[in-house]
Amino acid sequence: MTEVFDATLDRELTLLAAQIAIPATPPIAPAVALAIRQQRAPSRLGLRLSRGLVLAIIATLLLVGIAAALGIALGGVRFVIGSGTPAPLPPGVAADRGLGRLVSLEQGRSAVSFQIRLPAGTALGEPDHVYVSTLVPTGGRVALVYGDRPGFPADPKSGIGVLITEFRADIGPDSFEKLIQQGVRVEEVTVNGATGYWVAGGQHFYYYRNADGAVVDDTMRLVGDTLIWEEAGLTLRIEGAPSLADAQQLAAALH
Amino acid sequence: MPAYEELVRRYESLAFRTAYLIVADADEARDAAQDGFLRAYGALRRFRAGSEFRPWLLRIVANAARNRRRSSNRRVSLALRVAAEATADGPVPSPEAGVLAAERRALLLSAIERLSLEDRDLIVMRWFGELTEAEMAAALDCPRGTVKSRLSRAMGRLRVGLPEPEPEALRD
Repeated sequence: MTEVFDATLDRELTLLAAQIAIPATPPIAPAVALAIRQQRAPSRLGLRLSRGLVLAIIATLLLVGIAAALGIALGGVRFVIGSGTPAPLPPGVAADRGLGRLVSLEQGRSAVSFQIRLPAGTALGEPDHVYVSTLVPTGGRVALVYGDRPGFPADPKSGIGVLITEFRADIGPDSFEKLIQQGVRVEEVTVNGATGYWVAGGQHFYYYRNADGAVVDDTMRLVGDTLIWEEAGLTLRIEGAPSLADAQQLAAALH
Repeated sequence: MPAYEELVRRYESLAFRTAYLIVADADEARDAAQDGFLRAYGALRRFRAGSEFRPWLLRIVANAARNRRRSSNRRVSLALRVAAEATADGPVPSPEAGVLAAERRALLLSAIERLSLEDRDLIVMRWFGELTEAEMAAALDCPRGTVKSRLSRAMGRLRVGLPEPEPEALRD
């Protein structure tokens, strides 16, 4: 009897919901935009602190540069001139970046519905870590994580040099019309004969249309400026290359 | 910034509806939704790539609304009104919606009002806010399985506060 009662209650609540009047949504976006603009206006004190911070950073960098040039120890850290063999990327360095689960390259190959492309004949060599996500987007997504490499220094914060992401999706100019945060620059470029975008600046969202046609929100700039383009239904993203030219060189080497 | 404004426009209705079902006041709900969007903007760096924006935002908005309800230090009344009574020019209820008799409707609303705030949040989000279990899990910051069990217990308590429906109502 309880089950019958619950089913009836469910039906009654559904009918009641159809009769409930929830007030119309008032305009919210203009107030939010105004509040953000006001928050972003820097105070004079903030400006002074920023200048102080910049001077401190420049001084530190100069000191580090001199130490590196001399190959001396500074504060327990030894700066060594020369390329040497980079230390392997510590495990789990990208674990909190929402890239999916850590797998071997072979496991990654069998988990996604497309052929994974690797940068051949470049300083990157084999990826240190491979992550796959089979939940979003459709067909899976693979992320190749590279640590410090000659010409591709690791980001001091993340320890990651370059991050290459591959997934099935369609992107277009409208994907970037809704970029969030000021200071983000989007430049239309040519990548392997296709149209691509060089996105530099702060972290931001963008949208893409996955293989099912659904629009998916995603975040870029996990480790640095980003080159993103589409080739034969596969969207590729290179993050962390020091310049657009470096990113385009890596893109050309992806096979 | 125009991009974030676009995102706010896309989700403002969902945010407002969710907040309204918690604070039960249109002005408070608008303020809670605005708070939520501002907090989300400030927390963009913590947003995990590959996560969905909608449940993440819902959780922030629902928290903002609950904080407002808590700080108002009053027992908010849902003051739910049926559409036909709300405005003379409002939408006409569907014939199906008209099936629920006024007396039974009043009993139901009153039983929902008597529930604890936690139980009421669950019932109104599920039925009146039309949130999915996954969205409720995000809004309430708990696993989906917990939403299911808490919803089941809330339904049980709602049932206790109601007389058994007439045999007529049990027929499909």
